[in-house]
Amino acid sequence: MTNDEFKILFTGPMGAGKTTAISALSDQECISTDVLNTDIDQCDKAMTTAALDYGFIDIPGGGVRLYGTPGQERFRFMWPILANNAAGVIVLLNGEHPDLDTHLSVFVDAFWEQGAMPMVIGVGRLASEDFDVIERITDILLERHISPPIFSVDVREKDDVLLLVEALLCQIEVNEMGMMQA
Amino acid sequence: MKVASPLGKTETAVAQKELENFQDNTKGVTSAVLLSTDGFEVASLQVNKESASRLAAMGSSLAAISSAIAKEAGISECSRLIVESDEGVVAVMKIPNLKPPLALAVVASDASMLGQLLWGAKNCCFVLEEKLKKST
Repeated sequence: MTNDEFKILFTGPMGAGKTTAISALSDQECISTDVLNTDIDQCDKAMTTAALDYGFIDIPGGGVRLYGTPGQERFRFMWPILANNAAGVIVLLNGEHPDLDTHLSVFVDAFWEQGAMPMVIGVGRLASEDFDVIERITDILLERHISPPIFSVDVREKDDVLLLVEALLCQIEVNEMGMMQA
Repeated sequence: MKVASPLGKTETAVAQKELENFQDNTKGVTSAVLLSTDGFEVASLQVNKESASRLAAMGSSLAAISSAIAKEAGISECSRLIVESDEGVVAVMKIPNLKPPLALAVVASDASMLGQLLWGAKNCCFVLEEKLKKST
């Protein structure tokens, strides 16, 4: 990785849209480790990521490496491997999933690192005027004194995913300024 | 998390028996897990439930990464991955033509001989394919 390249991580539960988001953004053909999903009870989709997703955004003189984690907790051993040297993390959540609050806790706990890891949260599958879920997530995190930016997104839309990345880049910049001042 | 095997009881018993045959006939095999390629244990040998689940998940990730790198390198589908250390070997190999797709993860000590281990594991996969494809 050159000095002008950095790595960001997409994480979140199975079916939140990590692979779709990376595919929407990547300027190169993505590397996928999709396998047939046999766990239809947890998420009714044909394929699931077993190891990682990888994509790349070209930026003049550098680039952004996009890594995606598997969402299932049985693949948790992959999370710290993929988080190593990441500049920040985007947590994607399925807003209509009944276990949304649990998913939020699991992934924030796994990646927040007491605020050392810049983080942005994207919540998918919400109706356009549905702000209740975003408010609830905000309240849950505020109770824990955590306040990352939270957006309602459609991960199939490149602009929505770009919004998450841009917000994360701002978080990374703020974090670095804070470290320089400390 | 789902803990039920992706195979039925009869098929799981057949798979368990074949793993035992493999161990009986192959020097140095310390444990083995038959797994679905999305990381669920189907049958296992000489490991507790937790270790078998972890080995199944790791085996499926390794198999998926192996397939991705083989595709990237233009060498078609990866059929086997070998992790070697001074103290032993881990081998992960896919079992073709089954639904759901399965793979075998084998752990062997330094008492094993690599060629014999791989031959035995390949033979075990062949027998599993023959027996399980009739029922899947």
